[in-house]
Amino acid sequence: MTTVMNQSAPGGAARQAAGLPRLLPAAPEDLRAHLARYGPAPYRNQAGALINDVEASGLTGRGGAAFPVYRKLAAVARAGVRSGHLQGGRTVVVANGAESEPASRKDELLLQLAPNLVLDGLQLTAEAVGAAEVHLYLHRAPGPQILRALAERNARGLDRLAVTITQAPPRFLAGQEAAVVNRLGGGPALPVFQPPRVSERGLGGAPTLVQNVETLAHLALIARYGPRWFRAVGTAAEPGSMLTTIYRPDAKPHIREAALGTPLATLLGAEANVQSWLVGGYHGTWLPMPDAAGLTLDNASLGRFGAAAGAGVLAALPSDRCGLTEAARVTRYLAAESAGQCGPCLNGLPRIAAALAELAAPGHRRQTLADLKRWSGLVEGRGACHHPDGTVRFVRSALTVFEPEIARHARGHCSATNRAPFLPLPDGLPASEEDWT
Amino acid sequence: MNTAFWYASRATGIVALLLLTAVLVLGILVNRQGRLPGLPRFAVTDVHRNLSLLSVAFIVVHVLTAVLDTYVHIPLISAVIPFASGYERLWLALGAISLDIMLAMIVTSLLRGRLNRILWRAVHLLAYASWPVAFAHSIGSSKDLQQGWMLGLAAGCAVIVVAAVIWRLAHAARQVPRPRRVAAIFSQVTR
Repeated sequence: MTTVMNQSAPGGAARQAAGLPRLLPAAPEDLRAHLARYGPAPYRNQAGALINDVEASGLTGRGGAAFPVYRKLAAVARAGVRSGHLQGGRTVVVANGAESEPASRKDELLLQLAPNLVLDGLQLTAEAVGAAEVHLYLHRAPGPQILRALAERNARGLDRLAVTITQAPPRFLAGQEAAVVNRLGGGPALPVFQPPRVSERGLGGAPTLVQNVETLAHLALIARYGPRWFRAVGTAAEPGSMLTTIYRPDAKPHIREAALGTPLATLLGAEANVQSWLVGGYHGTWLPMPDAAGLTLDNASLGRFGAAAGAGVLAALPSDRCGLTEAARVTRYLAAESAGQCGPCLNGLPRIAAALAELAAPGHRRQTLADLKRWSGLVEGRGACHHPDGTVRFVRSALTVFEPEIARHARGHCSATNRAPFLPLPDGLPASEEDWT
Repeated sequence: MNTAFWYASRATGIVALLLLTAVLVLGILVNRQGRLPGLPRFAVTDVHRNLSLLSVAFIVVHVLTAVLDTYVHIPLISAVIPFASGYERLWLALGAISLDIMLAMIVTSLLRGRLNRILWRAVHLLAYASWPVAFAHSIGSSKDLQQGWMLGLAAGCAVIVVAAVIWRLAHAARQVPRPRRVAAIFSQVTR
């Protein structure tokens, strides 16, 4: 179902090749192939040594938030030293492959094709922050490639720390940092109020670094080839490449590694039969067409439309669908995925979802649109996590981009000719506490 | 002048009891996510917080005037250290205990952003101990409250607090389990 599109297979001389893809080989690579291409993980034998390189590289988190990676590394390393006399300086590193965004498939593919790159990154990061414990947190049961990689590395004694695998529940918020730590600690995968941040007090009270698996794979390459190599692609402010999951009108969803700054039209196509682009997934932003057609895949460019690349989910909505219906379907899903812990999110999102569903049907009340805008303002910034904020960003951009369609619906018309759902949504909504474990 | 401190201490003490009663009831309302007529939900939290600080101001005046009053000798330290006063030893000790608990609640609330929520909550639950102790201190040490319409006032406070606690427990028992809350709201809004 999901296919990879590689511009070219990575050559043997990966050091010189700044070209893409950097992360995704054409077929799953076992340890032998991995070592032949990259050699063993370059341990520095000194905690913290890697952090300067990561800072110089400008690598940001690829899980969605695009937070500078070196700052998280430094914070956890520092917290580990500070708590050293209390708990022996033990920190924890978690490779986050929860990929709880239903439209994103890039982490899953990365773990299939290049599991050793992720595991190298995990071990190198653990060394950099002085970790005593490493975890791999996965969306589904570990696939054969990852199990084989772990077994092969184990047999050769490559990993300094044993990797514990935990499966995430299929919940939208299961990959949120605090939810990850809660789940690894044996509890439900639910976000909690921070502070204390998990980088200060995480798993078992130890400073904990939670980093997306793609971020760790980039880090494993930066450790080998250095920051200048990493900066050879991307923009000066946002260097490197990122994995994107792309949905286009007439193609199967596919994963593509793209340099930051790549024109979105290169990735999403410039077809005339597209009415809007959705960038950044379900906490992302609908972009108006053709106004946004010149944007590039980096947050400096996307920010002009209030958008961000997030975890790299890009979709081009065909003209024959109803954008309001798509937005309402996704918003209903997001509301149902509320952890139900914070009042504004719990009370607000279902109301917002119901109002958007009313707009998606013909002949809505005039008051509904005003309610929707007011409620959106009321829930923003009032959650323990960013679920309400992300949902509101998605809804607001839909109201802006599909404004002409709202007016048509008010008169009882809809311009869609194709009723088939376009954006993927999982079925099975949470109903009991066990659904979060 | 001689009796001014004495009168002031009695008056502020009684006002503080009324305020603390309101603070406790509002705290229960905040906990159960209830509302006051005409106010948004977050404003209930603000009223709760501001009244609690106001009641501490009254308690400070209540303590200082009692200490400054020369008719009986009460050491200042007995405001926070139980059994440090020879006068009304038991009743003033109860006042000190309840004040100590209030101070702990205020300090943990001011530091709430930096504290673990379980710790904050544990300290805040002590409110249910603080109010009865303060009430006992008021009744025990005040001849005013032991008779007449003031006794009625004190009894009224006690009735209100007991009713609020019963309401809280009943409300908690009816609470929708967390995983079903979103579905419950959905069924409300799509009816």
